[in-house]
Amino acid sequence: MSIFRLKDFCVSIRGKRLVSDISLDIAAGEIVALAGESGSGKSLTAMTPFGLSAGAGSGSAMLGDDELVGLSEAELARLRASQVGFVFQQPLTAMTPHRSVRQHLEEAAMQAGGDRPDKLAMIAMLDQVGLADAGGKLRQFAHRLSGGERQRVLIACAIAHGPKLLIADEPTSALDASLRREIMELLTALCRTRGMAMLLVSHDLASIERDADRLLLLKDGGVEEQGGATQIAVRPASDCGKALMAATPRMDEKLVALTTPGEVLLEVRDIHVRFKKPGWRSGYLDAVKEASLTLAKGETLAIVGGSGSGKSTLGRAIAGLGPVTSGDVFWRGEKLPARKKRTLLHRRLIQPVFQDPAASLNPRWRVADTIAEPAQVLSGQRPSPERIAELLAEVDLPAEFANRRAIQLSGGQAQRVAISRALSADPDMLLLDEATSALDPLVADGVSRLFAKIQAERGLSLLFITHDLALARRVAHRIAVMEDGDIVEMADRETLFTDPQAEATKRLIAASG
Amino acid sequence: MRAPLIIVAAIALAALLGPLLLPWDHASIDWDSVRAGLFADGHLLGTDDLGRDRLARLLVGTRITMSVALAAALVALVIGVVWGAVAGWVGGRTDEVMMRIVDGLYALPFMFVVILLMVVFGRSIFLVFLGIGAVEWLTMARVVRGEVMALKQRPFVLAAEAAGSSGSRTLIRHILPNVAGVAVAYLMLTVPQVVMVESFLSFLGLGVQEPLTSLGILVNEGAEEMDVNPAALLLPGGVLVTVIICLTLAGERLRDRLTGTGRAAESAQ
Repeated sequence: MSIFRLKDFCVSIRGKRLVSDISLDIAAGEIVALAGESGSGKSLTAMTPFGLSAGAGSGSAMLGDDELVGLSEAELARLRASQVGFVFQQPLTAMTPHRSVRQHLEEAAMQAGGDRPDKLAMIAMLDQVGLADAGGKLRQFAHRLSGGERQRVLIACAIAHGPKLLIADEPTSALDASLRREIMELLTALCRTRGMAMLLVSHDLASIERDADRLLLLKDGGVEEQGGATQIAVRPASDCGKALMAATPRMDEKLVALTTPGEVLLEVRDIHVRFKKPGWRSGYLDAVKEASLTLAKGETLAIVGGSGSGKSTLGRAIAGLGPVTSGDVFWRGEKLPARKKRTLLHRRLIQPVFQDPAASLNPRWRVADTIAEPAQVLSGQRPSPERIAELLAEVDLPAEFANRRAIQLSGGQAQRVAISRALSADPDMLLLDEATSALDPLVADGVSRLFAKIQAERGLSLLFITHDLALARRVAHRIAVMEDGDIVEMADRETLFTDPQAEATKRLIAASG
Repeated sequence: MRAPLIIVAAIALAALLGPLLLPWDHASIDWDSVRAGLFADGHLLGTDDLGRDRLARLLVGTRITMSVALAAALVALVIGVVWGAVAGWVGGRTDEVMMRIVDGLYALPFMFVVILLMVVFGRSIFLVFLGIGAVEWLTMARVVRGEVMALKQRPFVLAAEAAGSSGSRTLIRHILPNVAGVAVAYLMLTVPQVVMVESFLSFLGLGVQEPLTSLGILVNEGAEEMDVNPAALLLPGGVLVTVIICLTLAGERLRDRLTGTGRAAESAQ
């Protein structure tokens, strides 16, 4: 039986049509996925029928026997409360900070006019979403829960009133790689066992292939390709599908040969970083524990780990951009001084590229000034406009970009400018701190290809910090796995995946597969 | 956004140029028409009990009040930005000490201190705005410190450090320009506060010296004769209220725009 059906559904905002002619049909217990790059209209398609976006829908959207297009806000609210559950991307902000888990659950269960659930019923709800110590969690507030726990609570809330349809808008993109698998498995199991229909919005093709029954690939607000999820994911027919598939790193893809590394440049010995716990709490937190590694010329070393594993702290300690408690960093056998004592000569060697492209650029500066800065500081002479155009060309941006400001750039363009700034210093090594993880798959793939190109041309060494194991497998010669501040395993990419030693590595591989 | 600014600009322009067009200045006495009513003998707003033209006095009073306010707000801006930027940028113990000093100054009964200063050093317009400016910078310092601490965490500041930019260069080239917008917005909010404080001091008789005048003095004088001549109170009072409301509105709009809260509110709708 069909639970949710769109027929020639269109969405426009202020008269401008952004999504056109989407048709889909979800039966009970079935999972249909909407995929596509950002701006393709996938979230709009999922949210507009229920009045949860700025857009206005037209065509037909049937929830059971109710036509949603043309309903008033009050009628939509009634239908949402009784028949539809929602799971959103940001578990951090989707909970009300001053209300406990219990209050969230009560509200969710009572929204359709049901009775106030008793404690046992609520514990059962939390058990169902796999939350450990459900009884104790009831009293807690959002800030005491981890990201994964919050997302579980929100899923419990979404299904508390027994909806027929679950709308999941990128439910795992804000989570750690190791948690994504667990949350997706939970959602899938809930749908199958309860006979709930699910509309899944996602750009994670690997997960869609595994979990969804059918897939609609959107581009520029229209359907590019639709059909069985496995079939499209394995053998896409459209160009858009092919590009998206090629851009998504997979654990089972064939390894592409990388450049051959040269002599060892960087040697890190027993770096330890210790923070005092914040506030009035006593004690210390060891963010990085006695980490040692080496990096050769032209080599890429990936540091992989979950959030809080200390990988960024280690990267910053090496680059002299963060605190170091003890340990040494050697460059060609020569010891690099502490953060404040690094001279311009030392600074030139290692340049960083950060995760958030928007925050990486000074919003008041023009691109030309941003790119000129390192060269200007290091050599005392402002590079010529021709030189800036060269640097822009190296990251595949036209010379006209020199006059733009940060706000006039897309995420991928801003990240390219940040890379260009790093190259302007003429470095020997780049520190890439999750440099592609804030970008959508196609753009991220373009940026990681760019890294490979620059590496080949300039013989750069790359320290590639990421949470994405499949990406690390694709780009890095060697991979170090971090957990709780320890480098638990370091091996070249073939060995790590065929013969993992540490428990943490095995868990990560299982979660990414 | 525009309307309040235009009104304030018009008032400021009138206060600057208006007295030049009048045949009387604020201190000259017209012996033939003491306590004249509205429009009597060419005095548009009449004269006070010493035969001085009320319009001239109103314009000069507005001029004095607004320039004292601007000067004091600028003093507050300079001290506040420097203090807040250094505290936020250096951080650690320096920050603790500097901000505790700010807290301590906040706790002083400021009106009392200004009055004591007046008693000890005598009344002078210079002392008035120094006294006011020295207190109004406290809020500015807190705002700027918070902004600087937030900017310090941004990746572009780390990237500048990686490029070898020294601490002071980063502060001047990267941090301060990004603080400027917020600082200007709070400057706009400081001006009406200072207008109020200055008027209050003048009302108490501690502000500027006769025959020079300010809106506070005019309101005080007007209050004494409001039963016979309400215009004497309502006109300077009206100008004062208009200036304060318009500057506050413009300042708040500017702050929302520059700190992004306004934009966030817009897109949330």
